[in-house]
Amino acid sequence: MTPRVVIVDDHAPFRSLARRLLGAGGFSVVGEAADGAGALAVVRDLTPDVVLLDVQLPGPDGFAVAEVLAREPDAPVVVLVSSRALLDYGSRVAASTARGFIAKADLSGETLQDVIRGPGRPVPCSG
Amino acid sequence: MQRLRPRTRAALAAAGAAAGVAAAAALVWGGYQVPADLLAPTLVLDLAVGWSFIGVGLVAWRRRPDSRTGLLMVVLGFAWFARFAVAVDSRAGFVVGVLVGSVYLSVLVHLLATFPGGRVQDRTQRVLVTVGYLLSAPLDAVFLFVFGAQRQLGEGPPPNGLVIAPSNGEFDPSGVDLAVQAVVVVLFGSLLATVFTRWRAAGPAQRRSLTPGAVGAALIVGTILVERTAVLLLIPPAVGVALAWSAAVVLVVWPLALLLGLLRSQLDRSAVGPLIVELGAGLPVPERLRSALAATLHDPSLELAYWLPERRAFVDPAGAPVTVAPARGRAMTYLERDGAPIAVLVHDPVLAAEPELVAAVAAGAGLAVENDRLHAEVRSQLREVQASRARIVEAADGARRRVERDLHDGAQQRLVTVALALRLAHTQLGTATSAELAALLDEAGAELAGALAELRELARGIYPVLLTDAGLGPALDSLAERCPVPAVVAAVPARRWAEAVEQTCYFVVSEALANAVKHARASQVAVEVRETGGGLRVEVADDGAGGADAGGSGLRGLADRVATLGGELTVRSPRGGGTRVVGTVPCA
Repeated sequence: MTPRVVIVDDHAPFRSLARRLLGAGGFSVVGEAADGAGALAVVRDLTPDVVLLDVQLPGPDGFAVAEVLAREPDAPVVVLVSSRALLDYGSRVAASTARGFIAKADLSGETLQDVIRGPGRPVPCSG
Repeated sequence: MQRLRPRTRAALAAAGAAAGVAAAAALVWGGYQVPADLLAPTLVLDLAVGWSFIGVGLVAWRRRPDSRTGLLMVVLGFAWFARFAVAVDSRAGFVVGVLVGSVYLSVLVHLLATFPGGRVQDRTQRVLVTVGYLLSAPLDAVFLFVFGAQRQLGEGPPPNGLVIAPSNGEFDPSGVDLAVQAVVVVLFGSLLATVFTRWRAAGPAQRRSLTPGAVGAALIVGTILVERTAVLLLIPPAVGVALAWSAAVVLVVWPLALLLGLLRSQLDRSAVGPLIVELGAGLPVPERLRSALAATLHDPSLELAYWLPERRAFVDPAGAPVTVAPARGRAMTYLERDGAPIAVLVHDPVLAAEPELVAAVAAGAGLAVENDRLHAEVRSQLREVQASRARIVEAADGARRRVERDLHDGAQQRLVTVALALRLAHTQLGTATSAELAALLDEAGAELAGALAELRELARGIYPVLLTDAGLGPALDSLAERCPVPAVVAAVPARRWAEAVEQTCYFVVSEALANAVKHARASQVAVEVRETGGGLRVEVADDGAGGADAGGSGLRGLADRVATLGGELTVRSPRGGGTRVVGTVPCA
């Protein structure tokens, strides 16, 4: 069964390309959102398996949105993306509730698959 | 109060002397019998009281023409002598004597209630003074014409208590007498209370002029109160005789106490010498001049602020800006040098009545004040430089943050999409049609073009290369062309100035244009650059919403930038009236 993905990013051309790339890479993109509030609504509506979440969002940033999503029942796996590098965020990604991080330029079905399977970082208990 | 002319003063003095002589004559030859042992003390004491008030009153009037106290003292002296009309054994003498018999007490109440200004200043004073006057002549007229008070013809001492002596008849006060005495007691009691309240509320400077008069007043009123209560409490008036004598003695000295209070400031002027010595004793320390002035003027609350003409503002001795505005209970004296203000003293309002003292102190402290003002000016400039240095560093950091964000949100974002499009094209090489691939490559090309445009714009914002290559005119034209709001640049003088001058003028225009677009929602902007005598003047005027905050970070940063070249930035932005930003930069 193909994993169901929601893409959250305020840059429309990126969403459009990511949708096609992930579609070609074995994912089914079921929804999109441009900010944190939209992301929560779409996730509650569609209960996806994976959320591809931009860090630099208008309003609350990706880390804050990831924390909110982690508290949802049936919390999806969150993967952060950014046009900055992982290094630019120091230890914030590791300390977050997200499964992992992909630099936008590296995004493909494969890299997403790798992060989701990943080194098996435990998802912090959401209570 | 008008000034007392010497001729009027001489006439009043002569009249006072004559009134005293006439009173004495009335007492001795008026027709009543004054006990021989009481004649001399009565004469001496009464003449002393009357002449003391008239004489000292005339001095006070001359020295302090602004105060009405001198006039009231003179009036009191004459009223004191007028009582002696009653000593003339005739119907007319009796009527006049009774009518004016207690007017001096009313004037005394007036004096006490309004000392040291001599003018009624509030409602309490008005009530006290009015009641005081109603209790004298009007009430005596009622006694005389309604109750039909009669004189005892030719027998015994003069009536109306003119000569202080135990009454020889039965002491049997009527109910009306008691009521009147009660009102008098209440009046004097409240008088004492208001004098005390006023004294307690006064600042140290004011107390110095109030204290001598207030102490004397307390003595007199106290004696009168005891004397009157003795009557009220049905204590035989024999006890009151001693009190009446002592009240009269205090009345002789009291005018001098009043005069002392009035002239305190003139005595204080002798303190100006020590002030100058003290100020010359060491280097100026911000607080020292203020405390020396406060001590000399006896006003610990005194504040000193220096005028900085260049900044058109007052600063305290430490150089911090202060607001100097009229406040309740405070008075201000401006110190001037060559006709221009250099400082202001904010002080107890009582000192405003002593301009000679303040002027003497100001003159004595003049050099020290000027010296301290220069120090305050340097401290103020230092503060300003420190603040602007901090703001300039902050602005530079802010600018770097903005460049990072612009790079990330703009060009980098687009380049990422290009990378993704190329990867997608790569994965679809075998499967997609060439039309699909072409569309994908077009998409990548468009994003790439957008990224390049944004990078160009960003680079131009960081530094306008046209400014270095072609000068201010072409750089401003290019700025205006790229401005989303129609902007007209009036002919810019075609010459080159120092790099720093050109850059500063360019950024004034660029920031003002950005504000016109972003905040003012202007529909057109006019830019003008002119050479003035000593420099370059740029003006940017828009027709937008106005209300720009000159203290906001953008305009503040511009002002700092202009100030580093010794220039000045002014912003006029009335709400609804457009914004006009004018920068002047000196250049050789």
